[in-house]
Amino acid sequence: MDTASETAQVRVEGVWKVFGRKPGEAREMAEAGATREEIQTTTGSVVAVRDVTFHVDAGETFVVMGLSGSGKSTLIRCVSHLVEPTEGRVELCGVELTRADHATLRNLRRQKMAMVFQHFGLFPHRKVVDNVAYGLEVQGVDRQDRQDRARELLDTVGLEGWGDHYPQQLSGGMQQRVGLARALAVDPEVLFFDEPFSALDPLIRRDMQDELIDLQMKLQRTLVFITHDFAEALKLADRIAIMNDGAFVQVGTPVEILTSPADDYVRAFTQDAPVAKVLQACSLMRPLDGTAVDPGWPQVSMTTPLETALPHLLGSTSPVVVVDEDNAPVGLLHGDDVAGVISENRP
Amino acid sequence: MTVVEEARRTANGLRTASGSRLARFILAIGTIVVLVLVFRLSTNFGVFPESWDIGLADPIDRARRWLISNQTSHWLYTAFLNPITDAIDWGIRRLESILKWFPWYSYPLITGVGLWWTRGRVAGVLGLASVSLIGIIDLWEESFATLALMGVSVLISMIIGIPLGIAAWRSDAVARVVRPTLDAMQTMPGFVYLIPFVLLFGVGRVPALISTVIFALAPVVRLTEVGLRTVPQVTVEASEMFGATERQTLRLVRLPQARPAIFAGMNQTTMLAMSMVVIAAFIGAGGLGQVVLRAMQSIEVGQASEAGIAIVIMAIILDRFSTGIATADPGHDALALRWLAVAVTVVAVVGGLLGHNEFPESLNWQFAPYVDDATDWARDNLYDIGGSGIGTGPFSDFVTLRFVTPLRELLSSDVPWPAMIGIGVVLGLWARGIRLAVGIGAALFAIGFLGMWALSMDTLAQTIVAVAITLIIGVPVGIMTSHNDLLRTALKPVLDFFQTIPSFVLLVPVITLFHVGRIPGIIASVIYALPAAVHYTDLGLRRVPAEIHEAAESFGATRGQRLRRVEMPLAAPELMVAVNQVIMLILAMVVIAGLVGGGGLGLEAVRGLRRSDAVGRGFEAGIAIVLLASILDRLTRAIADRLRPPAAV
Ligand SMILES: Nc1ncnc2c1ncn2[C@@H]1O[C@H](COP(=O)(O)OP(=O)(O)O)[C@@H](O)[C@H]1O
Ligand SMILES: [Mg+2]
Repeated sequence: MDTASETAQVRVEGVWKVFGRKPGEAREMAEAGATREEIQTTTGSVVAVRDVTFHVDAGETFVVMGLSGSGKSTLIRCVSHLVEPTEGRVELCGVELTRADHATLRNLRRQKMAMVFQHFGLFPHRKVVDNVAYGLEVQGVDRQDRQDRARELLDTVGLEGWGDHYPQQLSGGMQQRVGLARALAVDPEVLFFDEPFSALDPLIRRDMQDELIDLQMKLQRTLVFITHDFAEALKLADRIAIMNDGAFVQVGTPVEILTSPADDYVRAFTQDAPVAKVLQACSLMRPLDGTAVDPGWPQVSMTTPLETALPHLLGSTSPVVVVDEDNAPVGLLHGDDVAGVISENRP
Repeated sequence: MTVVEEARRTANGLRTASGSRLARFILAIGTIVVLVLVFRLSTNFGVFPESWDIGLADPIDRARRWLISNQTSHWLYTAFLNPITDAIDWGIRRLESILKWFPWYSYPLITGVGLWWTRGRVAGVLGLASVSLIGIIDLWEESFATLALMGVSVLISMIIGIPLGIAAWRSDAVARVVRPTLDAMQTMPGFVYLIPFVLLFGVGRVPALISTVIFALAPVVRLTEVGLRTVPQVTVEASEMFGATERQTLRLVRLPQARPAIFAGMNQTTMLAMSMVVIAAFIGAGGLGQVVLRAMQSIEVGQASEAGIAIVIMAIILDRFSTGIATADPGHDALALRWLAVAVTVVAVVGGLLGHNEFPESLNWQFAPYVDDATDWARDNLYDIGGSGIGTGPFSDFVTLRFVTPLRELLSSDVPWPAMIGIGVVLGLWARGIRLAVGIGAALFAIGFLGMWALSMDTLAQTIVAVAITLIIGVPVGIMTSHNDLLRTALKPVLDFFQTIPSFVLLVPVITLFHVGRIPGIIASVIYALPAAVHYTDLGLRRVPAEIHEAAESFGATRGQRLRRVEMPLAAPELMVAVNQVIMLILAMVVIAGLVGGGGLGLEAVRGLRRSDAVGRGFEAGIAIVLLASILDRLTRAIADRLRPPAAV
């Protein structure tokens, strides 16, 4: 399912992670199709990640979605090498992590990657600004320089003036902004997010998602984002991988997943998804292909949710024109396609 | 296997387990009764036979003599022990002379500013006043001796303890060695540590310092390890993700987060060192402890009280300071304090250059005479109030004649020694199993072979009486505080205060009222152990979840029923922990009380420390104390575990 792209910045091939003393035996059972529980009762080992392969292109947002315990955290830890995979290859920015020595790995971490954690992982004994400056401090940047850079980033995430507080004095949402600023401070090419917004209230979560989208528009980094929230995955992802019992069940764009779920497990998510809210006009539109656009047809922007475009389509046979920022038509949205996606999800 | 089968098997397992528990208990009681009866019939089993004494004292005495005569010539001394001695002695002297270089008035000022910084203004003023008081009662010199010994001991403890804690955290292999060693070290009464070092180094400050370091080391090692272990994994991962090296993560993330725990360890270590430095007066460590010791030996209660107060002041200041330093928040006073600190530093340096280092004699004032008068009055008037048969004297007689002496007789001769050993073995078997049983049996035999049977039973009897009194008072108070937050808050400072006082000093007020003998030792140990009894009872009862209280209440249980049927059984393991702590504290104190005529093993050990021809016996007594302590500790711990409900599967 993976077509290794030339521009891939993260490349993961056949990664396994087995916790416990009998990885070999556990693996054999897993390959024979045994479930995690069966393997655990027989061998005492947990197969947290089984045979996962994927790649992430530069500038892409790749979301891994799965229920809790499905192995997402273990997978992202294998990719960032906080956990040694039992088997398989991980390549990051052209360097094979699974073969790299300590120094190479350390340099790669200092320069190319950063991670945002579910429970923030802030240092309670350091001021906010020193939290943000941590990565630079580790690299040996001067105190003044790293503080300047840290304050700059605090401004970016909307926390100007909070630098001299301690993390515990901030609300959850603000703490995760600090976590984000801390990760961005080292100017990484690849950013890992392990359920960064799961611990936040729904409203704050939505704000943070929107801000992440804005930031990503500007920064164009490579993001590997973990979540258990399907709506969040749909909202952020260029591509989504659905994970179950340690393995990837399906990898595809949000539209692919919504329109053709691979199995019942995936369908269970898509059925409850607020499709019309999540999907935007651009993701369902068809190319113009020379069709003459009737000026009387309604127009929507590329980022309009289907929900908003829907009234224009109801009771009308004509399509809706999708226009870009300069109001130039870029595609057509057909009632049949929209109905198709929505009915696929509401059988 | 199906779930049902699994459940059935588990249930059966539980039933047989509890069935065998009861059976074993009945068996144990039965065996004890039989043993006592059997041996009671044959009268020649009284005290452990003297002819079985292996006579360890002689070789020890010989070794001591050899060591003394070779102190200047043998390589063991010239190449190894003497350099250590000299280095330590140099360190203490050096620190003492540095401390004395500063003018006398800098000490009240430094204490005042320091306590203001860490604890607030009131503490600052009290600190200033109480340090001045030490000078006023003319114990300045002695305080410096104690302070220097403390300073070097605590410093060495930190230098050894923190890296050792880090090593134990980093390597399981180290932890496996360090942890049981620390456990064992903590069960021994501090007093016992003095004996082997006196043997090796003779008397003086060096063996005092070494035994202090060993006695005080455990908390800082343990808490450093715990602190590092409890650093949240996610912060460590965050640090690693930034490409930090191991060293950077340790320095920038782990150690700073472990800081509160390490500080707590340093505080406990400091307090243990304080109590040990005082006790080390027994081997000529000098300082305030020596004043107390000398005064107590000649029953000059006034002098002993003055030195005792100086020790308490020093202990409390060190405690407040070392607990406050981790959380210091001077708030509004920060700026003023910074200037004050600068000012005090200037004053200290200038004063030092001018040489104002003697505490002026014109300020001296002694309260010893008043205490002596009060003591005389108490002896005349409270000993037997108005000839009524009520008073401290008759009370002492009553407790001695009714409880201590009969119990001692019972344990040492009425119950035949094989029966005593049998009882120990059976209790061990019941509480844990064959290994503990064998261990207890062997330890008891060893006590007998050392020729310490009778003395050990004397100490055991005193301990049992003191433990009983402590629990009779402490447990009800703990029950009350667990139900009443107000009372608890009110009692807390009192209990904290008593826990801060070095054990040895508690003997001073007690001998004021009760003179010498076994009773002052028992009473001092009760006072010493009471805070622990209250605290652990309270803690145990508070651990009972609120839901269970409510459930019991919903069945219409009365308060008494609730306490007896629900809370006490649930808190039983914690209560047993309380018993364990109380026993260990009391044993430590009863041993020290050998000094004021407490008799038993303590007296023998004290004698061994003070007279070079009695070192061998002292050493034997020391081993017997350690054995007794381990037996009591293991046994009570095992019983506590036994009372714990089976862990969830
Ligand atoms: N260090 C570990 N040791 C043993 N089992 C682990 C460890 N970490 C995770 N697991 C197990 O691996 C499985 C996947 O866990 P995780 O990756 O945390 O899932 P998720 O992040 O999707 O909730 C779980 O069954 C978990 O219990
Ligand atoms: Mg997770």
